[in-house]
Amino acid sequence: MSKIDLGITLYCFTAEYYRGEYSLEDCLRATGELGVKQFEIVGSQMLPAYPFVTDKFRSEFNEMCEKYGVTCVSYGANMDRGMRADRNLTEDEMLKSTINDIKTANRLGAKVMRAQYLLSPKVMARVAPYAEEFGVKVGIEIHNPETPSSPVMQEYFETYERGGSKYIGFVPDFGAFATRPNIKVARALENEENKEAIEYAVHARRNNIPRNKARETLIQMGVNQEVMQCFEEMNGFLTFYNEPDLESLKRIMPYVVHFHGKFHYMHEDLYEESIPYEEILPAIQKSDFEGCIVSEFEGNEPGKTYEMVRRHLAMERKILGIGIK
Amino acid sequence: MAFFMDLGFSKGICDGSIANFAVNGKPYGFQFDIRLNYYRGLFLSCIDEFGVKVDGEEVDPMDLTFAINDKEFSALNLNENISEFWNLLHKARVFVRMPGGLPLGQHAITLRLMLRSPYLPLPGGEGEHNYVPIQSGGTIVVTIPKEKML
Repeated sequence: MSKIDLGITLYCFTAEYYRGEYSLEDCLRATGELGVKQFEIVGSQMLPAYPFVTDKFRSEFNEMCEKYGVTCVSYGANMDRGMRADRNLTEDEMLKSTINDIKTANRLGAKVMRAQYLLSPKVMARVAPYAEEFGVKVGIEIHNPETPSSPVMQEYFETYERGGSKYIGFVPDFGAFATRPNIKVARALENEENKEAIEYAVHARRNNIPRNKARETLIQMGVNQEVMQCFEEMNGFLTFYNEPDLESLKRIMPYVVHFHGKFHYMHEDLYEESIPYEEILPAIQKSDFEGCIVSEFEGNEPGKTYEMVRRHLAMERKILGIGIK
Repeated sequence: MAFFMDLGFSKGICDGSIANFAVNGKPYGFQFDIRLNYYRGLFLSCIDEFGVKVDGEEVDPMDLTFAINDKEFSALNLNENISEFWNLLHKARVFVRMPGGLPLGQHAITLRLMLRSPYLPLPGGEGEHNYVPIQSGGTIVVTIPKEKML
């Protein structure tokens, strides 16, 4: 039996936060107003003393959380392997940086931490004892274009199978299960002139026509910049598959510590443009997953974020058949 | 530069921030504020390119400093600062030594600022240390009015 909590990541409010329209406190207030209790925070985005938590910030943070009835369920860490100009961080340095992140997550009260794949499976195995000491489950994010069956994700899976720790695992991002083109493609299609080229680009992706060959064809068709960008993105971080990789998700589920409910655009009728929530959520519900799905809005709809997130949560509740707690 | 990311949050130089400054009562240069054009903060060591042009002329890096976190760093070794973090919400201030300051009239000030996203290897990029570049610069045209002259 699964036990699913819904939450949001404060990252949803990136545009508002950047412009000073939402402070951290406003983000926390909005979380409560949206009817959820759990949130994720991306450290490199919102922590004033990143990558640390000062005592002063910690007490202010706790006060705000209490005021709005919300708790930090997850800490979004970055694996900045390339943070030095002269060389990559060594494995030891990456481990040390991750231990610091775990400590920071713990100071914020988070029980889960999102890590990134530059932290190799080998180093992840070394993370386990620290994760256990601090009581923070660390999960590698599975982000589009990776899926649970990507070779690198399989390596983590095998590492986890060998290690036996319940404190290292995965954070699948729903974007990894996209089956339809992104909203940007729909927007490019509003221009009638783009129709033929876009249809070809989608056809090429669906039929695994090699990227270089498809690109050449598009260049010959004389397509504009907008179409070219859609093409590159649908072969990059905004790709889509003919079927969501739910079989592999099922296999790794015992190691899933948290989910990112990625979305780019929510229609009024509670339908996400590119990601088949109606297939993914029931699969999670049928599993033994216990944890949180945080809504992660990654569109750029100035002024519409709150409404987008509201619709996303409404869609999730509708599919899962749960009411507002 | 082939591929780079530009989130469009910032055009580099903050509007209305360009001003002359004085030393010992005499105009000694000008300053302006800049913000990151990204969704998160970065260590200064993630600055791959930093430069300023005034009306098309490159400023000597010897005459450039970059101030953040109550400290002022030389443009020459900005990327050696591996523990100095540029918070997403903070403005950095750039000082350009230019005795006499920006003269009266219209000027095009260009900020060259290329950052790299240290967790995001460049797809298909060569070498082990090749990350997605983030375009964070821009050009603005300002008019220095009489009352702004020092």
